[in-house]
Amino acid sequence: MKVYAGIDIGSRTIELVVVDIQGNIMDFIQTDTGFDPITEASRILAGVPHDQIMATGYGRGLFETAFDDAQTITEIKAHARGVVSIFPGATTILDIGGQDSKAIALNNGGRVKKFEMNDRCAAGTGKFLEIMAKNLGFSIDEFGVAALDAKNDLSINSMCTVFAESEVTSLIAKGADRKEIARGLHLSVVKRAAGMINRVSSLGPIVFSGGVANNPCIKALISQKLGRQVLVPEMPQRMGALGAALILAEKASESD
Amino acid sequence: MNIEPLMNDGFDGEPARRVLRYMEGHKEKGHPIVGIYCGYAPIELIYAMGIVPTVLCAFSKAPIPSAEAILPANLCPLIKSSYGFILEGTCPFFSMSSAIIAETTCDGKKKMFELAAQVKPLHVMDLPQLPDEVEALDNWTVMIRKLQGFLEKTYHTKATDQTIETAIQKTNRKNSMMRKFYDYAAIHPPVINWQEMYDVGFLALPSTGDEMIPLLETLLEKLDKRVEQGVHYGSPESPRVLVTGCPVGGDALKIFKIIEAAGGLVVVPDACTGIKAFMGKIEENTPDPVRAIAQRYLEIPCACMTPNDRRLSSLSEMIEKFKPDAVVDFVLTACHSYNVEAYKVGEYVGERHGLPYLKIESDYSDNDEGQIRTKIEALFEILG
Repeated sequence: MKVYAGIDIGSRTIELVVVDIQGNIMDFIQTDTGFDPITEASRILAGVPHDQIMATGYGRGLFETAFDDAQTITEIKAHARGVVSIFPGATTILDIGGQDSKAIALNNGGRVKKFEMNDRCAAGTGKFLEIMAKNLGFSIDEFGVAALDAKNDLSINSMCTVFAESEVTSLIAKGADRKEIARGLHLSVVKRAAGMINRVSSLGPIVFSGGVANNPCIKALISQKLGRQVLVPEMPQRMGALGAALILAEKASESD
Repeated sequence: MNIEPLMNDGFDGEPARRVLRYMEGHKEKGHPIVGIYCGYAPIELIYAMGIVPTVLCAFSKAPIPSAEAILPANLCPLIKSSYGFILEGTCPFFSMSSAIIAETTCDGKKKMFELAAQVKPLHVMDLPQLPDEVEALDNWTVMIRKLQGFLEKTYHTKATDQTIETAIQKTNRKNSMMRKFYDYAAIHPPVINWQEMYDVGFLALPSTGDEMIPLLETLLEKLDKRVEQGVHYGSPESPRVLVTGCPVGGDALKIFKIIEAAGGLVVVPDACTGIKAFMGKIEENTPDPVRAIAQRYLEIPCACMTPNDRRLSSLSEMIEKFKPDAVVDFVLTACHSYNVEAYKVGEYVGERHGLPYLKIESDYSDNDEGQIRTKIEALFEILG
């Protein structure tokens, strides 16, 4: 039986998903990207047999150069395909990864209709949350939980990471509550995300994918801000790799 | 497919070097040269006085750090680059110009021109930005006449209604041939690519009708031959892209290069560096040729104008003719006019023509090529 691998080489993590021709998940591996993505990718690929491979994510070009037989698709198409396999009727996707955030609108057939993606700035991405968690002395897992727990909303006005850092420093100096600062930072990410979502679609539930979807506070605030249901797939960070693998399996089953 | 270079003069792909050689030829003959930055500089009047217009450097990231010592860093890269070249003295076209013509198209340029005026004689034309007001035409006509006065004084030369009329007629012929040239991109798949359009447009802009028309005749013959031989770029499936928005040149060419690398074909470069420069026709044989020039220039659909509905109707004409599969709007960082107008353009292109639209906001640096590439590839995936 043939199996199809999807590999999502993101700025923070690499995910590898292997599916069979029916699209059943056979294998899933996740690792940190580090500073040598190709070595990391080769390491997790060793011992995972696959017949074809599709790369996505910011490292897809590098991967294509290193592995002759690799095909590539953008993370936008990959996440869309991954999400549709879990939520077949999805019309709106929010994908926040390490370095990029995207809002994607799908048509009835689950195909990408429209998308918005951040420009080069890391504001509103996982990287931003990671830096801010560190500044406040939270682990990334504690950060969202603490923010969810804050009693009051506090506003952070700087969009840019370094400016937000100095804003946080001055809030700490004023004796502001750590949890409330955390919530303010989450709100600033949500403000950006909500703007992107509104530009692509205004109705229906939002499927939240990418690593930041594991953050319970971002999820709750988006739902609250937009008045829309927010659905998070199990292991949202693997939607890109899953989508890439499924697209290969689909092609193979069509040509059968 | 191996395609023979279009001009085949050793400068293909390096239009700035070709134009530099052309300008040096004029300089050797002792012809006076005036520097221009923008499509609102009335080149027919310049030609009519025996002066050669030269487009000044504005598209390289190299001199930007020098400019940022004086200009704010969050200013549009085109203005910073232009001024950086002046400060560093590295633009050969600026060096050979005796004076500079400037227009009040945007606030950033307006204030930068005040600084540049300390370096070289510089004449600012007050551009009416409500082109549909009845006074706009009168006012712009006055501004062109004032420019005439400035040039007459600076260059000790004269223009007459007759020399202006002759220049108008020659430009009209040159521009109509340029439009014929771009028609080869409307063919499916296209017979010219973005590099060739950029090369020819770069040369055509400062050249007179007399110089450009014979060259265009040979180029059109070569292109007819390509059509006969079935020579073309890409394949019938390659996505066809209309690129609208801010001027594209030098380091901003990354947008064209990324579209091409993603398998797309730029079939309409609609900007002051593309087709826009050669659109429209100046009315001939009128009692007031300067007024006829003013009329044509006020019709340029630049985002500095308000309202700018001409941009939308001109987009419709281009879409109908060149049949693009998608529209990419290239906005330079901090170019507020084009950036705000982008929303209207996106809605229009989608609703009127059902085409996918993508705005790319960028500058001359290369650190966002990965993100631009993802956006362009995702746009093409939508089409696929």
